[in-house]
Amino acid sequence: MSDTPLLEIRNLGKRFPTRQGREPSPWVIQELSFSVRAGEFLTIIGPSGAGKSTLLNMIAQIDTVSAGEIVFNGETVTSHDARTLRPGFDRRIGYVTQDDNLLPWRTTIDNVLFPIEVQGRLNAETRAHAEVLVRAVGLAGFERYYPHELSGGMRKRAALIRTLAYDPPVILMDEPFAAVDAQTRTQLQADLLTLWGLGRKTIIFVTHDITEAIALGDRALVLSRQPTRIAAEHAIPIPRPRNVQDIFALEGFAAVHQRIRSEIQ
Amino acid sequence: MTRWRTYTDRLIVLAFILAAWQVGSVLVGPYWLSSPAAVAARFVVQILNGELIVQGGYTIEEALLGTVIGGVPAVLMPFLLRRHPVIVAILDPFMVGGYGAPKLAFAPLFILWFGIGIESKVALVASVVFFIVYFNTLSGVRALDPRLVQMAQIAGAGERHVARHIVFPAAVPHILAGFRIAVPYAIGGAIIAELISSNRGLGYLVQTGAMNFDTTSVFSAILAATLIVHAANWLLNGAERALLRWRPPPQVVLDTWT
Repeated sequence: MSDTPLLEIRNLGKRFPTRQGREPSPWVIQELSFSVRAGEFLTIIGPSGAGKSTLLNMIAQIDTVSAGEIVFNGETVTSHDARTLRPGFDRRIGYVTQDDNLLPWRTTIDNVLFPIEVQGRLNAETRAHAEVLVRAVGLAGFERYYPHELSGGMRKRAALIRTLAYDPPVILMDEPFAAVDAQTRTQLQADLLTLWGLGRKTIIFVTHDITEAIALGDRALVLSRQPTRIAAEHAIPIPRPRNVQDIFALEGFAAVHQRIRSEIQ
Repeated sequence: MTRWRTYTDRLIVLAFILAAWQVGSVLVGPYWLSSPAAVAARFVVQILNGELIVQGGYTIEEALLGTVIGGVPAVLMPFLLRRHPVIVAILDPFMVGGYGAPKLAFAPLFILWFGIGIESKVALVASVVFFIVYFNTLSGVRALDPRLVQMAQIAGAGERHVARHIVFPAAVPHILAGFRIAVPYAIGGAIIAELISSNRGLGYLVQTGAMNFDTTSVFSAILAATLIVHAANWLLNGAERALLRWRPPPQVVLDTWT
């Protein structure tokens, strides 16, 4: 883990365009700054409607920035104009969204291989790597199933390893486990930590669940309500590898949880 | 078991229709309304002597050519115009007009322009098929989920990848639905064009049968046309099953009343 940031967000602001003749629309996000080191697992906690998805959409460059800049590895990649957006700027940012967005006409394995295929990198090695990931998350035997034949948790896993399989340096995750039941969620969190332990990707993981943010992250940022800014920052002192199941019992958990909860209210 | 139940119930319905037909034929006289038995006998004779095969084949050829000539551009246009919504908007009233215009009324014009040969029938069929398939494909292209496109773009997919891997597969169910609607019209359109002016095809058999007051022959040709539509539908069902394996099976109404 180096100390130079891999991704820097500087004074980021977002307001949505207004209709003609109205006063300027309010800032949804304003003066928001943070940075992520290479190999860091950063979690961002914010209440619903705090502009979490908007923030990630701007970083992934599927939405324009109204103010401030995003710097990736020293290169400014900010875009104010929808026409010059570069989604995922050249495969350097992966994005696991709330919806799994699996292609319904592709089987599990073909969905996982989809990014590799369009990037023209499909070969025996990348295929073998994808198969390792499929096994690691317990999808072995379901490679030839179509998304509608999988459970919600399985679909989440497939979406997760689809992004991991093509190995982008930074991965954004937008409440990827919000829509599954508690039991499955704990399992998915454990799977994610296992996978992250293997590759040590840089991850920005957004959630409204304080426990999840603590269980997964090296560092947790707390967002304020609108306009969204960083309200607080916490290093998570819990050593790895962590057992997500009994995260409550681990030393340091209760204190951090308490503090974050008071900041959110 | 529901499946067999459906088949047996269908046979009962068929028996009712045939019985009503037979009764009607006896009441008004076979001169005005031929009987099912006579039609069946004539049908077998005309199959065996090859008449229905030759004339039916001719009609199928017209319908098939017209479906391809009208259907291929109808599928391609919405894809090519996907990035040019302004052109689609400009064309829209004309397409709606073309869709709404009674194509069968154009049949005499097509015969005037293309002669009484196969060309005029193919032109009529193509004009019918084109608009139906165009609007279905267009709705398929429009029903695209933008989140899937964003996912693909972030993963590094270019415009052509998006078109091939996202837009096209998403539109396939709509395209098939379009052809499912268009194909019976294609066969019907070919027959009606033959009725107006032709010396071949099932429409010609209907025409000569009617001129000779031979209702048996008319019904025999109609029966052949109906069977062709059924066969085409069966083929489309097979294509749909093969191409749309990825879709969740529809909630079959037939299975709910077990």
